[in-house]
Amino acid sequence: MSNRSGYRGYIGSRPYFGERAAQHVQNLVIRDYCQRNGHPYLLSATEYAMNGCYMMLEEVFRELPRLEGIVLYSIFMLPRNRDRRRRVYDTVLSSGAVMAGALENLVIRNEQDIRVVEDIWVIKLLTETRTDKIVV
Amino acid sequence: MTQNLERSPFWTDEEWTLTQSFLDQGYVIARTESPDTLERIRTHVAKAACGHLGLDIPADAGKFLDDIAAHVDPSTLNDLRLAVINALRSADWFRPAYLALARQSLQTLVGNELAMQRGIGLSVQLPQDDSSLLPIHADVWDGDSSFEVVQWVPLVDCFGTKTMYIVPPSEDRAVQKTMHKMHDQSAEDLYNAVAEKAVFLDLKFGDILLFSQTLMHGNRINVEDTTRWSMNCRFKSIMSPYAQKKLGEFFEPITIRGATRIGLDYSLPEDFDE
Repeated sequence: MSNRSGYRGYIGSRPYFGERAAQHVQNLVIRDYCQRNGHPYLLSATEYAMNGCYMMLEEVFRELPRLEGIVLYSIFMLPRNRDRRRRVYDTVLSSGAVMAGALENLVIRNEQDIRVVEDIWVIKLLTETRTDKIVV
Repeated sequence: MTQNLERSPFWTDEEWTLTQSFLDQGYVIARTESPDTLERIRTHVAKAACGHLGLDIPADAGKFLDDIAAHVDPSTLNDLRLAVINALRSADWFRPAYLALARQSLQTLVGNELAMQRGIGLSVQLPQDDSSLLPIHADVWDGDSSFEVVQWVPLVDCFGTKTMYIVPPSEDRAVQKTMHKMHDQSAEDLYNAVAEKAVFLDLKFGDILLFSQTLMHGNRINVEDTTRWSMNCRFKSIMSPYAQKKLGEFFEPITIRGATRIGLDYSLPEDFDE
């Protein structure tokens, strides 16, 4: 029998791609995802507000051997740097856990899933616009 | 945190002493301004816990809360915590009572037009329980504004690992300045970097802690024999900047003064012809 138990939520304190959701709303989305998928939900870790900081994600990695998975509020909370994202995927999958994005209802269990998420990420980066630069 | 603050002649001695202490340490601990109110809150908490657990109301609420581990374990703790929080939040007297515990100190440190966190937090930390830990953090890293103060109220005596720790301003600022170098490390690594400097705050029931949540703080596994019960709530000046914790969804204005009320409602006469 597995010693793993539950899915740790992971929410943010800063905007991602210029978008912000209140923390209790992020938690509602994660709870709903876990409920719909029959996953035991564990109270979320909250990432620090500083851009480029993933120390709370690293903290969650420390308990990966005891977790079934991590549920991010959104896959766009992952690091913007491709190599750092790759390290996140590798860390989670090599530990035997899975990772999900609750908002997008996407789960990463294997290389194929990573490709799907990476395609979305690359397109998002390419199409990223700043509304303050749009001239009408 | 702010060095060489010169005393303005507008400060009273009492205000100046409190402010200096707050700036030097990043926190102040004072006896509650309303002991009866604090006792009322603690009794309400104990009754709510008894109601949830199906127990008789205890004669000594403090001892009952200290020894709550006789009635719950980590797997049932969160249900108890939620039941007590719901009982507090549904009592319409509770939030004004919470303010009354340190009203004068808050007015000195924060201002007299206050915004108050809408949902007051409750921590219950059983002995040896590793499921209720709060990793090292500063609330400003979690979306709070640097203009806020946390009012932390113990419902039992808190000491040793039963209490929270805080990192003193000088060490805190030095570490925050170079924190980016720890970008691929965890919060636990960060704690290890400041552990020797962390101060575990000794508070008796009746003490109120006001601290700047720009300072790193958190808790560790409670290895004392009794359970920690504490409440926390953030206050800020209504007109000071907000971060991710917004007015309305997180904060509520509670003491809008008359002149501000008039100012908020007033608009200049309009529709003059040029």
